[in-house]
Amino acid sequence: MTDPRITNLARTLVQYSTEIQPGDRVAIVGEPPAAPLIREVYREVLRAGGHPHLMLKLEGMEYLLFSKASDDQLNYISPFERLIYEEFEALISMRSQSNTRALSNVDPTRQQIHAKARTELRNTFAERSATRELMWVGTMYPTQAYAQDAEMSLVEFEDYVYGTTYADTEDPVAMWGKIHDEQQRLVDWLAGKKHVEVRGPDIELTLSIEGRVFINSDGKRNMPSGEIFTGPVEETASGWVRFTYPAVLRGREVEGIELHFEDGKVVKASAKKNQDFLLSMLDTDPGARYLGEFAVGTNKKINRFIKNILFDEKIGGTIHMAVGFGYPETGSVNKSAIHWDMICDMRDGGQITVDGELFYESGEFKI
Amino acid sequence: MADPRTNNLARILVHYSTKVKPRDRVCIVAQPAAAPLIREVYREVLNAGGFPHSLITIEGLEYLFFAQANDEQLQYVSPFTKMVYEEFEAMIGIGSQSNTRDLSNIDPSRQSLRAKSRSEITKIFLERGAAKEFKWVWTIYPTQAYAQDAEMSLSEFEEYVYSTTFADTDDPVTMWQKIHDDQQTVVDWFVGKKHVEVKGPDVDLTLSIEGRTFENCDGENNMPDGEIFTGPVEDSANGWVRFTYPAVLRGREVEGIELHFEAGKVVKASAKKNEDFLLKMLDTDPGARYLGEFAIGTNEKINRFIKEILFDEKIGGTIHMAVGSGYPETGSVNESAIHWDMICDMRDGGQILVDGELIYESGEFKI
Repeated sequence: MTDPRITNLARTLVQYSTEIQPGDRVAIVGEPPAAPLIREVYREVLRAGGHPHLMLKLEGMEYLLFSKASDDQLNYISPFERLIYEEFEALISMRSQSNTRALSNVDPTRQQIHAKARTELRNTFAERSATRELMWVGTMYPTQAYAQDAEMSLVEFEDYVYGTTYADTEDPVAMWGKIHDEQQRLVDWLAGKKHVEVRGPDIELTLSIEGRVFINSDGKRNMPSGEIFTGPVEETASGWVRFTYPAVLRGREVEGIELHFEDGKVVKASAKKNQDFLLSMLDTDPGARYLGEFAVGTNKKINRFIKNILFDEKIGGTIHMAVGFGYPETGSVNKSAIHWDMICDMRDGGQITVDGELFYESGEFKI
Repeated sequence: MADPRTNNLARILVHYSTKVKPRDRVCIVAQPAAAPLIREVYREVLNAGGFPHSLITIEGLEYLFFAQANDEQLQYVSPFTKMVYEEFEAMIGIGSQSNTRDLSNIDPSRQSLRAKSRSEITKIFLERGAAKEFKWVWTIYPTQAYAQDAEMSLSEFEEYVYSTTFADTDDPVTMWQKIHDDQQTVVDWFVGKKHVEVKGPDVDLTLSIEGRTFENCDGENNMPDGEIFTGPVEDSANGWVRFTYPAVLRGREVEGIELHFEAGKVVKASAKKNEDFLLKMLDTDPGARYLGEFAIGTNEKINRFIKEILFDEKIGGTIHMAVGSGYPETGSVNESAIHWDMICDMRDGGQILVDGELIYESGEFKI
């Protein structure tokens, strides 16, 4: 019998996150180690009357692509992906890597070529997602590789995944409904606000959210979830931030990142490990030096750094920002081939002040 | 390091069978069990300058599909498959099942419904294949499931696969070229011939090949290969045949099949095991009761029945016939949602006479 938590997770993804309707074309994206979850998702999509399509990648293919492909091959866009992003009704992505560092030694400029070629596709994705023509959710299936990054045994890590997604409870959908309500109060309060100041031992930053919308991240697109986020006004960020945890992009880990902003742009950037990679990513395109996201993590069950952004950005008591493209539904107009989240812990006295009012202190909301 | 035979097989598939050219769109169709071969094929497609795509399914989904899908879902045609058949330049299919009998208990009428809805794209597949706009090849990757059917250990079965494909030789492409030449002599001899009589302990059948073309199966569409085949004139088969080995279709095994033909049509059919399934399949559509193929197996390295048609139909010293769709390049006009090969051993005194001349006896060509 399948672990009942896997069935619960599949139900949450199909019935709650993407709300699959009869006739929906649903892409199921993942890697073979997720087979038990893929099977349950497939079953639930059929049950909902949808048309499940599998798009599996094998471990090692991406490495071969980046190490062997010509520029022509790197610039090529799969018509399968185009079809999903441009026409499908839903996408359920289940990452399940067997090695999270397989791309560590690939030349980052080759990854950039590939990412740039996909800019248009990514914009289409973001636009159709904002209008809810394309319902999508990203989750993870626990593998040894992720457990290793998290410094846990696989059994402990499974408990962590199913605990933070509430798949270990009888009624995960009700839990996510409750989280939605709590966060909606914050989002409603932020509506119409303009000026944000963030202060703390590792940060001194101001930015404008005037005319921008905070989104309630309640498990519809990420599972687990638990954050509220917006796209700050592009040219407004000023100040500096030192990120607490290493930031991982494209299989590469950058530690001790410090960014300095002027008029929204990163004008100075340094890192203690892999600084070259950081700098080359910031030069991907003009939008890569501007913020596409400002967010506050709210999930108290996510309480430790596990080197996986899906979880880490939601750590209750942290904020995060992303350089690169922003989500149009927030009002962000920043475009870029990258979207790189970086996390700053606020539990040690950090404050967020909104239009002069203390909104958040040491990881707790004050309103 | 990958088994060098796996890389050899990948080279045959990409550089000999499908002759992938720069910018060819190539779809790899497989299951995760074939990962080592998929990776090598992916690498070789990149080397050839093509654009590799993959459609990878996991074991168990087909079962869920047939067990749970409603009629609308059963009749839905994947836009990915449609795109591959209609637009791509090449497809490399790698059978890699972990259980060859997982569909044994599925209601065959549901499989027929599915196959019928796919008959239009199957037709396009065959037409583009015949016109060489679309190069396709089918092979298998040795798994425990196939080894079990073959009644061998996995190691023995690997040796069987790699020796019958000549992937265990230094220069498999030259070997296949030689097979091409040998078979071409026979194919050339058949040009312009009309009347075929097949006689033996298990067969007494006449059919016409007037105006039809024999194809030389030299490893372009099947790997391993080794047969010559044509599509007999649809209304010409008369007589009977008792097939030596069980015939497998859609995960179901039918033993002791005997077919009687009148004016090309199967007018009587019986089997010792799974006769119901045989009869249902013959009623799929009108074309399912007519022959789409008449063929002679020539691969002397394929010397035992392993319950896998890709290999068995090429056993040196056997003939086979398929009910259902024919290949347009032979001149066949038979259309059906099924194509079901059945094998008759000729090594025990079987004879083939063409326009009155004995050309084949007890498994050996006499011309």
